[in-house]
Amino acid sequence: MASIVLSNVDKIYAGGVKAVNDLNLEIKDGEFMVLVGPSGCGKSTALRMIAGLEDISGGEIAIGEKVVNHLPPKDRDIAMVFQNYALYPHMTVEENLAFGLKLRKMPKPEIQKRVNEAAKMLGLDQYLKRKPAALSGGQRQRVAMGRAIVREPQAFLMDEPLSNLDAKLRVSMRASLNTLHERLGVTTVYVTHDQVEAMTLGDRVCVLRDGLLQQVDTPQNLFDKPVNLFVAGFMGSPSMNFVTADLVRTDGGGAAVTFADISLPVPESTFTEKAGLDAYIGKQLILGIRPSDFEDAAAANGHSGTTGWARIPARAEVTEELGSEINVLFLIDAPPVEHKDTVAAKDADEDEETIPLAGDKSLWTSRVNARSHVRPGQNIELIVDTHNLHFFDSVSGLAIGHPANAGR
Amino acid sequence: MTDRSDGPQATRGDGKSAARGASPEPQPTTPPAKGAQGPTPRMALWFLLPALILLGAMVIYPIIFSIFRSFFDSAGDTFVGADNYTAIFTDASMLTTIRNNLIWVVIAPILVTTIGLIFAVLTERIKWATAFKLIVFMPMAVSLMASGVIFRLVYEQDPDKGVANAVITSVGDVFDSSQGYPGARPRENDAAPALENGAVVTRQPIQAGQPALLPLVGLKPDLLPADAVTAKAVTGPGVGGTVWLDFAPGGGGAVGKIDDNEKGMPGVTVEAVQQGAVKGTTTTAADGSFTFAGLPAGDYVMRLPQSNFTASFGGVSWLGPTLITPAIIGAFIWVWAGFAMVLIAAGLAAIPRDALEAARIDGATEWQVFRKITVPLLSPVLVVVFVTMIINTLKVFDLVFVIAPGSVQPQANVIALEMWRVSFGGGGNQGLGSALSIFLLVLVLPFMIINIRRFRREQQ
Repeated sequence: MASIVLSNVDKIYAGGVKAVNDLNLEIKDGEFMVLVGPSGCGKSTALRMIAGLEDISGGEIAIGEKVVNHLPPKDRDIAMVFQNYALYPHMTVEENLAFGLKLRKMPKPEIQKRVNEAAKMLGLDQYLKRKPAALSGGQRQRVAMGRAIVREPQAFLMDEPLSNLDAKLRVSMRASLNTLHERLGVTTVYVTHDQVEAMTLGDRVCVLRDGLLQQVDTPQNLFDKPVNLFVAGFMGSPSMNFVTADLVRTDGGGAAVTFADISLPVPESTFTEKAGLDAYIGKQLILGIRPSDFEDAAAANGHSGTTGWARIPARAEVTEELGSEINVLFLIDAPPVEHKDTVAAKDADEDEETIPLAGDKSLWTSRVNARSHVRPGQNIELIVDTHNLHFFDSVSGLAIGHPANAGR
Repeated sequence: MTDRSDGPQATRGDGKSAARGASPEPQPTTPPAKGAQGPTPRMALWFLLPALILLGAMVIYPIIFSIFRSFFDSAGDTFVGADNYTAIFTDASMLTTIRNNLIWVVIAPILVTTIGLIFAVLTERIKWATAFKLIVFMPMAVSLMASGVIFRLVYEQDPDKGVANAVITSVGDVFDSSQGYPGARPRENDAAPALENGAVVTRQPIQAGQPALLPLVGLKPDLLPADAVTAKAVTGPGVGGTVWLDFAPGGGGAVGKIDDNEKGMPGVTVEAVQQGAVKGTTTTAADGSFTFAGLPAGDYVMRLPQSNFTASFGGVSWLGPTLITPAIIGAFIWVWAGFAMVLIAAGLAAIPRDALEAARIDGATEWQVFRKITVPLLSPVLVVVFVTMIINTLKVFDLVFVIAPGSVQPQANVIALEMWRVSFGGGGNQGLGSALSIFLLVLVLPFMIINIRRFRREQQ
């Protein structure tokens, strides 16, 4: 086990394409680090550079204090799990698991012991004599994991290992990955484009975009305190709602954000939390509200009276019933935010189809309790938790008052 | 489906269309029963007939006739039983033929497959790979006869005509540039030096200060190198002497003496020998003189070793009886390596890159990746190439026929060529020829079956 440190790492492909740009990342010993980002953001390239499958154009990569820039993969003592499993089709499961150990000239009984242990851990005992072709996708995936486990390497590298599995299997494999990491405690670098995987698996998550590091933090911090519009839009599903709004002083001495015909009061505590926000009073900024910060006023009477909750009347255009919750899509009479960061984050979210909207209206999503029983076409009164409003600079797209953006 | 769902609706509508809708149901007795798909067997036969006729006339009938014919003598009217077959295995020249075929089958497929594999692996990693592959594949486009003609010229004995010998002799000249004097020899009289095992040796031992005279004849003066000058006697204290061409152009001149118009022979190796052991070696100067520096006083015999008088290396006789089969195998490789390379390269492209990368991360060196992952995954293609090459070597005819000159054809012979020679090329014994062709068929058959079974398994 070891830490992995990337300092000022660049990857420039022939033709001048910069896949990874000045990446600095420290992965601590035993940490589960997830690299996430839309396709083409350089996350896989970064992983392959750590593995030694790609040359490093600039900078330095160290695994356990040792600079590995010019070491071939075999000397880096890492194990990798590939998206397509990359099993050796001409070998049985047992031979697949033992291959790396045989190459290291390990004594036979030791190989046998480790293979059996890994097989037991992954529930592969009865498949040891089979060839990969005779296994299901999930079983192949487990063999690929087992091949990494038996090596007992300094670090696991995983390149979208779950993306070829069906949805249900993916969830259960995600859980077993979690327990596996807890049991083995091996430093793990995990690449995925799925932000749900990133949130659920990572001790820390590293968001990349166009080869540039956006933010590294715990999943909760990424969700609560995104550093810029891109991270805010990329993390979280359904994604954050954005609108261009004005921050104004109200008659009562407080502050409010206004957009369309809606005015949301901004609590004083927000100004103390977000240093520099008061400089935006009287100016335009981009307001972000998480769908989960909405609630149906009728179904949540308890909140409606308390401070910090503001009401928004809306008409439910579409409802998505998820059983425990309902996603209510409604229109806001304001043009959609066309910032480069929100567009990039939206592109990444392949599952979500954008509905072409007539006029200058944007479609917002709110997530309300299933008790609300709202139907499409119904009018609904939503309440918003104004303590969790997100503010972004309308030019730079940076979150206002985020410690990482201080001085930028 | 739609027809059926329409039916009941129509019945509800009116009686007439109900009758129409029901009519198809009692009729299906005409098409084949029990849900058999496709045309009737009779129809199938009609479709198969053209192919059957062609195959029958061109393949099956000739095979059966050849078997039948192989039991008859050259005239074709006397039944001789298995005599033709026993002739194949008893006749000495026939056994040479079979031995040659064996050499072919053992060597050629392995070499072709190996070279094809090397090319395929190398071309994966170079720029201009397509251009390289095209060039290596090109010989496949040339007819085998033309390839034979090309290699007949390549293997020409004269280095000025044959590329192979031109390369070998020029490489040889780089390492061994000594000037030879083939044909030069001492005069046959008592005063002249003696000839011992091809080397020229002085009859009397020489001492320091007493120059040795080594006159040679038997060489045309114009064969001396351009830098040769008039011979000069050595005067001085050390052991020395002169090697010169003892022939005065235009007559005159004394035998065994250096005359004014006689030239020295430069570049001749001279050895000073004492009691059978070589004590010193030197070469002659442009005037043919030589001296040994630092030889202790004593009696020495001067010796001009045989290497001075051998002709320069004239190249390998590729088309001679000993090298003819390897030479033709070389041509065969030239033709087929490109084919093997293209097939193997296609196989290589189909190997998942992930598996190779996984092996590298698992700790394999490039060689281990190649041996433990690439080659096993490539083995189906390698077997196809190998078996195809075995079949091709068994059937080889054109290259041997064209490259081997008539005089060495008995040494280069293979079964296919022998079959033709016996039947049509002067032998006139079509009974024996048929027996040979059946023998060849029996040899090829197992490999054909292997190939067909492979293809079938892959299709499943």
